[in-house]
Formats: sequence, C-alpha cells, structure tokens
Amino acid sequence: MRMINFAKRNFKELIRDPISIIFEIVLPIFLLFIFQQFNIPAENYKLENFTPSIILFGFSFITLFSATLIAKDRTSSFLIRLGTSPMKSSDFILGYILSLLPIVLIQNLLFFLTAIILGLKPTITMIPTILISIIISIFFISIGILIGSLVGEKATGGLGSIIVQLVCFTSGMYFPKESVGGVFAIICKILPFEACLNIIQSFLHNDFSNLSIIHLLVFISYFVTIILITIVVFKKRMISDNK
Amino acid sequence: MIAIKTKGLTKKYKDKIAVNGIDLNIKQGELFALLGVNGAGKTTTIKMLSGLIMPTSGEIIIEDMDMKKDVFKIKEILNVSPQETAIAPNLTVKENLEFMAGVYQIKNKESKINELIKQFKLEEVLNKKAKTLSGGWQRKVSIAISLINDPKILFLDEPTLGLDVIARKELWKIIEKLKGEKTIILTTHYMEEAESLSDRIGIMASGNIIDIGTAEELIKKTKTKNFEDAFVEIATGGNL
Repeated sequence: MRMINFAKRNFKELIRDPISIIFEIVLPIFLLFIFQQFNIPAENYKLENFTPSIILFGFSFITLFSATLIAKDRTSSFLIRLGTSPMKSSDFILGYILSLLPIVLIQNLLFFLTAIILGLKPTITMIPTILISIIISIFFISIGILIGSLVGEKATGGLGSIIVQLVCFTSGMYFPKESVGGVFAIICKILPFEACLNIIQSFLHNDFSNLSIIHLLVFISYFVTIILITIVVFKKRMISDNK
Repeated sequence: MIAIKTKGLTKKYKDKIAVNGIDLNIKQGELFALLGVNGAGKTTTIKMLSGLIMPTSGEIIIEDMDMKKDVFKIKEILNVSPQETAIAPNLTVKENLEFMAGVYQIKNKESKINELIKQFKLEEVLNKKAKTLSGGWQRKVSIAISLINDPKILFLDEPTLGLDVIARKELWKIIEKLKGEKTIILTTHYMEEAESLSDRIGIMASGNIIDIGTAEELIKKTKTKNFEDAFVEIATGGNL
C-alpha cells in the first residue's frame, strides 16, 4: 500500500526531529508535572481535568509539526518526484494523517502514565478517552496539512503558534471562559477548542451531562469543514506548486 | 519505435504561453537533450511529459499510451530526477531507496536496491542520513532513486547543476551507461554536457522548439566553430 509506505516515511521524518519530540511530548509532560506542584486551588488544574487539557495542548504541536513537514516537502523537490509517481492525492493526505497517529497514541499513553504517577486514578474510561482523542487529533492534523499546503516552511511556525495560543486561551485549559466573560466567552464558544476539551473531559469522567449539543455541533462542523477544505486545498496546491 | 510523441503540446498561464504547440518524436533508447535559456519552457515541457501537470492543449503519447487517459499507467514506466535534489532528508540512503521502491510497489525490492547500490557505488553512504551527504552524493542518490522502477523513460532535469567537475564527470559516466537502455530526456545549461551525452538536441526559445538535430548538424547548420556558438546563434536568432 503506497499510503502506508508514505506514512512510514513521514513517521521516520517526524520522530527523528528532536525538536518536534520535545514540543509534542516532553513539554506537555513537563507542564502536567509542574502545574501539579503548585497545588492551584482551581477545578481546571485538577488532574482529571488538566490531563485532557494537556492532551489537547499536545495536539496543537501536532498541528505545528505536521504543517512544517508538509511545507518542507512542498518547497523541496521531494513532492515533485512523488507527483510524477503513481501516488494519488488520497495516498498523500492519508499518508500524512496515518504517520501522526502513532505519535498521538504515544502522547496519550505517556500523558496518562505521568498523570497516574502524579495521582490520577487509573480507570477504564482512559481507553475510550484515548480513542476519542485520536479522532480529535485527525482534526488537528488536518489543520496542519492545510497550513502546510498554504504557506512556506518559515510561515508554518507563526501560524502553528497561533493554533497553540488559541488552544491555550480559548479551550479553557488554564482558566474558565466565565472568568473573562463577554466577547471572549462567545469567541471560546465559536472556536472548536473548548468543544474538543469538553469532549475529551466528558469521556475521561464518563460523565456527558456537561457535554452540550452545541459543543458537539461546533466540533463536528469544524471537523468536516476543515477536512473538506484540506482535501481541496492540498490537491490544488499540489498542482499549482508545479506550474 | 517512438517512445515519446507530442502533437501541438501547449501550456498557457493566463496571458503567458509557456509552451507553444510543440511537436516532438523521441525514439526508444534515445538520449534527447532539451536546451534553452531560462524561461524557454524546458521544465514546463518536462513536467507535462512526466504527468506532473496537464497540458492546456495538445497530445502526449508515451509508449503508445495517451497521457490524458492513462496517466497512472504512464507514471509506472517513467521516472524523474528533478532539478533540485529530491530525497527525504531524515531518511538514510538505504531507507530512501526502500521508500521509493514502496512507492513503485517493486516486487523484487531487495535485489533492485542492491543492484542500484552496486551501480552507483553507494555502499559507503548507505546508512548515512540523506541530509548529511555532500551535494554530489545527494545528486547521485537522487538519480539512483529515479532508476528504482527500472523506468523505460527517464527525465533528468539539470542533473549536474552545481556539481564540481569530478562529480559531474562521474555522473556523465553513469548517464552514458544508461544510454540505449532507456529513453532519456535531459535538460541542461552545460553545452558540453548536451554535446557529449545526447543523440539529438532540441533547442527551445519562448516556448517553441526552434531547432532539432545532432550537435554536429547544428554546428554545420549555423556555420559556427563549436556547439556553444551554434546554440547561441540559434537561441538568439543571430542577434547577439
């Protein structure tokens, strides 16, 4: 399968870049550890709430590094070579997505392991949480593919950082939106990151009473829209890059 | 037997005509050089012939297959070594070869890879990451990769650009060995490269093929002393 072959190559490229591993895995684990040392008396920082936040935070770096990989491939002649091979657009897009899923799984396992060491009670709900996280990660990977298809390698850093910041400030991982209120609360509701966090937390807590239909609709709408836009833009850029 | 045939091959971008209705007949096993100044349309022509971009109009027939109908079948029997080195930087040389063997779903993968390692004398760099290699080695690996599917048609887009004289001569030897075995389309800015390697040379200017012939024929035709002068005479229309 060409797609699997391409995914293997992408995985090797990503895993051999120490900077990406530091940001995707080491930094979130460090944050998980350090915030538990402060004993902050807020709901957000309780392990059962902050571990899902760290999972989401890790995904924002998946966006950043997938965007960089794709932009690098595009700006080198590597994609020209592959463009003249029998590989199809679906092989490319699925190959990029598949290559990142093992990293997502490693992230999840290490984040939960760290949380358990720090005192989170191991529960069976961690398994469905990991599974739903993998689905949510596809959304973040797609944003990465989209950014990498649109801009060059240097600009991916800037745009990727915006996603990291949006996750930090609009997901509710550090502070609840109600503490700021007003327009900020509306922005948090419109953007998909709060919904993502809410879904992961609901699965971990095995309590879906706080998961509103609006959050589900927001996430599904963004998920479908971003994937469709990514497919169209990637295909178009593959052609226009080679004009 | 004709390996590549084009009829009225044209590529337009908004107001600009990059390739203007060219007709080509390249024989099987021929090494055909495409020369021209920057912006003449060489790379666009190669991109169309290799299925990377589709022509605005005109026909491309490769090994009796129509590019419009059989693009994926055609892609199985050709390969390209692009202008810049096109290898995966964090993969070793061996992994690059294995990856491309996977792209072309090569059945006898191991023996093909070993054959290329031997042919290009890659043993000493086999386990080194591609990004750590010198420009000459990277180019050599890039050309080796382009032979992974044993292509009937090979496009070499400025294969020796930026290489030192020894690395260039080394690559010439490799290309010479491929002559006759494969149909090769070569673009280059080095006149001596085109003269020494190719069977025929096509000269492009402003999207048109303005002359075709062997190096000797073109020298004779322009009544010049050497091929470089002949090229300048043809490419500029004698207005230099």
